[in-house]
Amino acid sequence: MKIRVKVNGRWYESDVEPRTLLAYWLREDLKLTGTHIGCDTTSCGACTVLLDGKAVKSCTVLAVQANGREVMTVEGLERNGQLHPLQSAFWECHALQCGYCTPGMLMASYALLQENPNPTEEEIREGLSGNICRCTGYMNIVKAVQTAARKMSGESQEALEEVAANGASAD
Amino acid sequence: MSEVLKPQFTGARVTRLEDARLLRGQARYVDDFEYPGTLEVAFLRSNRAAARIQSVDVTEALAVPGVKAVWTFADCPITLPDRPFQVGQPVLARDEVRFVGEPVAAVIADSRYRAEDAVEKIRVQYEPLPAVVDSRAALADQPRRVHEHRPNRFLHKTHVTDGFNEAFQSAPHHLELTFRWNRQTGVTMETRGCLALPDPVSGRLTVYAGHQSPHGLRGMLARLLKLPEHQVRVVVPEVGGGFGIKAMFYPEYVVVAEAARRLGRPVKWIGDRMESLLADAHARDAIHEVAVAYDDEGRILAVRDHVIGDTGAYAFPGFPGAVGEANWATEMLTGPYKIPHVSIEIECVFSNKAPLGPYRGVGGPIGAQVQEAIVDAVARALGKDPVEVRRANLIGPEDFPYHTPTGKVYDPGSYGESLERALALVDYERFRKDQEQWRAQGRYVGLGLCVFVEPSAMAESEAGSIPYEAVTLRMEPSGVVTAAVGTGPTGQGHETTFAQLIADQLGIDVKDVVVLHGDTDSAPFGGGTGGSRSGTIGGGAAIRAGQALRRKLTQLAAHLLEAAEEDIRLEAGKAFVAGVPARSITIRDLARTAYTDVARLPEGMQPGLEVVARYQPPGAATYSNGTHLAVVEVDVETGFVKVLDYVVVNDCGVLVNPMIVEGQIHGGVAQGIGSALLEELRYDENGQLTTTSLMDYLLPTAEDVPRMRVEHIQTPSASEGGIKGMGEGSLIAAPGAIAAAVSDALAPFGVFVTELPIRPQQIVAWVQAAKTEAQAG
Amino acid sequence: MFPNAFEYEAPTSLDDAIRLIREHGYDAKVLAGGQSLLPMMKLRIAAPAVLIDINGIDELKGWREVDGTLRIGAMTRHAELEHARELADSFPLLSRTARWIADPLIRNRGTIGGSLAHADPGADWGAAMLAAGARIEARGPEGSRLIPVDEFFVDTFATSLNEDELVVAVHIDKPTGPVAARYMKLERKAGDFAIAALGVQVELDSNGRVAKAGIGMCACGPIPLRATKAEAALIGQPLTDETIKTVSRLVPEDADPTDDLRGSAEYKRDLLRVFASRALHEIAEELKGKVGGQ
Repeated sequence: MKIRVKVNGRWYESDVEPRTLLAYWLREDLKLTGTHIGCDTTSCGACTVLLDGKAVKSCTVLAVQANGREVMTVEGLERNGQLHPLQSAFWECHALQCGYCTPGMLMASYALLQENPNPTEEEIREGLSGNICRCTGYMNIVKAVQTAARKMSGESQEALEEVAANGASAD
Repeated sequence: MSEVLKPQFTGARVTRLEDARLLRGQARYVDDFEYPGTLEVAFLRSNRAAARIQSVDVTEALAVPGVKAVWTFADCPITLPDRPFQVGQPVLARDEVRFVGEPVAAVIADSRYRAEDAVEKIRVQYEPLPAVVDSRAALADQPRRVHEHRPNRFLHKTHVTDGFNEAFQSAPHHLELTFRWNRQTGVTMETRGCLALPDPVSGRLTVYAGHQSPHGLRGMLARLLKLPEHQVRVVVPEVGGGFGIKAMFYPEYVVVAEAARRLGRPVKWIGDRMESLLADAHARDAIHEVAVAYDDEGRILAVRDHVIGDTGAYAFPGFPGAVGEANWATEMLTGPYKIPHVSIEIECVFSNKAPLGPYRGVGGPIGAQVQEAIVDAVARALGKDPVEVRRANLIGPEDFPYHTPTGKVYDPGSYGESLERALALVDYERFRKDQEQWRAQGRYVGLGLCVFVEPSAMAESEAGSIPYEAVTLRMEPSGVVTAAVGTGPTGQGHETTFAQLIADQLGIDVKDVVVLHGDTDSAPFGGGTGGSRSGTIGGGAAIRAGQALRRKLTQLAAHLLEAAEEDIRLEAGKAFVAGVPARSITIRDLARTAYTDVARLPEGMQPGLEVVARYQPPGAATYSNGTHLAVVEVDVETGFVKVLDYVVVNDCGVLVNPMIVEGQIHGGVAQGIGSALLEELRYDENGQLTTTSLMDYLLPTAEDVPRMRVEHIQTPSASEGGIKGMGEGSLIAAPGAIAAAVSDALAPFGVFVTELPIRPQQIVAWVQAAKTEAQAG
Repeated sequence: MFPNAFEYEAPTSLDDAIRLIREHGYDAKVLAGGQSLLPMMKLRIAAPAVLIDINGIDELKGWREVDGTLRIGAMTRHAELEHARELADSFPLLSRTARWIADPLIRNRGTIGGSLAHADPGADWGAAMLAAGARIEARGPEGSRLIPVDEFFVDTFATSLNEDELVVAVHIDKPTGPVAARYMKLERKAGDFAIAALGVQVELDSNGRVAKAGIGMCACGPIPLRATKAEAALIGQPLTDETIKTVSRLVPEDADPTDDLRGSAEYKRDLLRVFASRALHEIAEELKGKVGGQ
């Protein structure tokens, strides 16, 4: 079946078997290998992308269901080689180790901040509860999202550094 | 030889050099490589725990379009090494299957979809055999021998200190406990996989694999495929987590490599999560029957430990998991305490379950949990504060080097100091007061401690038995440095930490050091990563290599600046004469000169700037330590446990990058929460694994792990750089801290945790039993 | 790991969808959110020859209140109901239940209609719809009908829908008196299946006594179950400690849990009792504020 999907701002046309899962289409047909596969049962979130602005597990969406729709993957976060504040924040806060869950974590965080630009720590943890990380213990990921939220809402540099060093005050 | 006077990067929270590609989705893990003509493998795995294979019919499978080959043992008659227990796993089952998940046949097809379609069409006739699933029964060869030619018990050893019996019997008090740790596994977010590429021209075979020991994998593949070692190239690309699980030598890698070699095509296998849970190295699965002798002050005088470890159906070459679990649990049984006498008996058995291998901490988590439970049990029996009992037993600074009754020699650490600091961070006295009030309100909050000692940088670990590590440095004509290391990182940030150490030696920017690893063509022969060896041994090698290169740069600079060598300083990308900064030359100019202006080199100096250093630490191991403190609340009506607070005081010697160290600690604590409360691989009475997906093998999410506070103490090791390994300490300590906290929370009900993971239903049952007893009594 | 091959249809009108369902019969499965069906297809537990994707049918989306009844379109995503603040006062069980379903990512795709039609006995909407006394609107070639939720679940993964019927909406009557609800679930970690879960909705009359009570349970039987005895014991009663204690004990009597990986039947019954007690106490507290005490 022929599909036409906008991915990271660009339209792609493809002829796919209906059984092709979105995650595999992105990785194998579009060569966007940033989206990862971590499980068989929709349990881990490593494959998280945005579909029409909503964070979804792309291993549990058919590529044909994205026909005519917009997808954003981790490759679409940066603009003209400039990292998105979330990517910078993950870097500054050491919110990744092996990096395997990171694309999914970034996309879920991105979606979270779109819907809730100023989340509490609890809301961040809840918002990321569909994304499993085995390396970081989530501590620095939460810090990174808080840092990015502040950056994106234009807080001062000193306040950002304070958060990077000590985490936000008890929320 | 002057020391680095002002380390600029060592000890600094340098953000990682590897992160850009990871954040941008540009990193390449094994499954991200694409080569034209790649064939994919799907395995048919046994769905019986124990059965004879009467026949395997692959005719229908071969007829599936796109299938190139379907192999059984007859097509690939390779067996993994069988020393020392006379049991080697055939890479595809031969005559008999011994665990659910054991590879029986391999389909090699033009896509994974079609390979799976074909796997469904393979017909196997099994003659079922009774499955060995209970380790105690297995000891008695019941219901049968897993391997007919040898008893199930493959290891039996004892270690008794001189005078143990006397010390044990003469003690005023005794208690007995039996601990049971159920099976668990590492669950790396990236499953295992490999891609083998034959080069038809040279005959060389290149194997991409997510592996912790690049050279170890190369050596084993060369050996089993009967290829000269230099004809095999292992390339370890980005790896999505290792935790010891990816240090082992698995049969699938042999099949894939052999298929590539024989079919002359690239061949790839990427395991799915079910395969991962079925056949990745399993861990823990041990029983510890413990008896403790102690006095009125709570001093522990003697400990007896009888360990029964279940290693599964096969012993991984070089690392039979149950042996590792039992050895390291018992070798570290006395932990940070001055317990003079031990009597240890270890029995390891085969069973019809997946093979056990190394999972972060190896025997450490069980050992530390048992050791701390012993201390808490003694405290409870005497009605003493568990902190007081710890203080009464702790090894003090004056006791180093401390010889344990198990033959280990601890180098200096901060055992007591880490405990006191952790207690201060939560205001321990205040907590106990609050706890009384909470109990009066019907809230059951508990505090658990785990004071741990972590052996690191040993000559032998799951990574292999290379006691040294290697670093090559090449300063390019532009002045930047290319380093290659023999370690096998899987997320620990070696590209940054090694760069920090090297940059400090050479007085250059950390960003001017590129660290390569994982490719046996460029990485010097080394020992991989495991047993927390990379920081100490790898770091030592990096420092030594840096020193060697600095020597040459210093000599050259001294010659060019017409100064004495001892007056030359390397800093901020320049070599200059001490006290006369104007007399300087940039490192870049030094490098350029060394390669292309060789007339200006001093007499006898070879052109170029390349060194290789191998470093072996002075001691057999170096010991990190620390204290984990967990606060939990138990809902006694539902059995749900919530971790409220978590504090870590960690001492791993000189810190190279505190941010990376903290990250390691956070991750280990999360795994520890999983280990204590959630994770369990459950086999039923027929040997069927019932937890084959992440819906059933439960991992903690961001909602299940609390915010953690981490503080550092730095007691240097005697090795180059003063670094101690620390990657495993957090998982060594965390399960014990959580279990102890649950015991403490439920102390009013007389509950004492002796089995992990702790199930909510078990908590409710304990509490209800205690209530019933209280009412009856 | 990958589904079998299948034919794919994506109708844009309800009539087309029903026509396709009728045409393919048992060979076809309806694809709504796909968060239950696709995982089953990936494991090859389900292997339909035809998938009828209803995500493009606009009339299945959104909700509206008509004549005192809330009509929720079948394709309403869990996340939409989780965040629907405007429904919180009159339909308190909706948001409270939705937030417990799976995880935030799955909630962005999964739908209430799909979940109900899939009829997993562990699914949260089943318990909540029982407690809310919902009616399921089904449409087939002959037209629409309303199926009371008590008649909807027949067996594990089986409903009373005809082969050629589609769930198009869920109807919930707007409470007339003061109402409060709670959804309680024990999962060992976020996103896990329930060990046991319970939805409770209570409406009071003008005397502060229980006029209507709905208690639905999931993960405790082959289908979601109603705690009928407990409900009956609540009617006409004030929400006192005594009442709550008595009623909580009755809840497990209508449950039918089994021993499995997540716990024993006995443990699950106990959880239901504990949840019923906690839910009713919280409801009582909340309603005190609304009625002015008893």
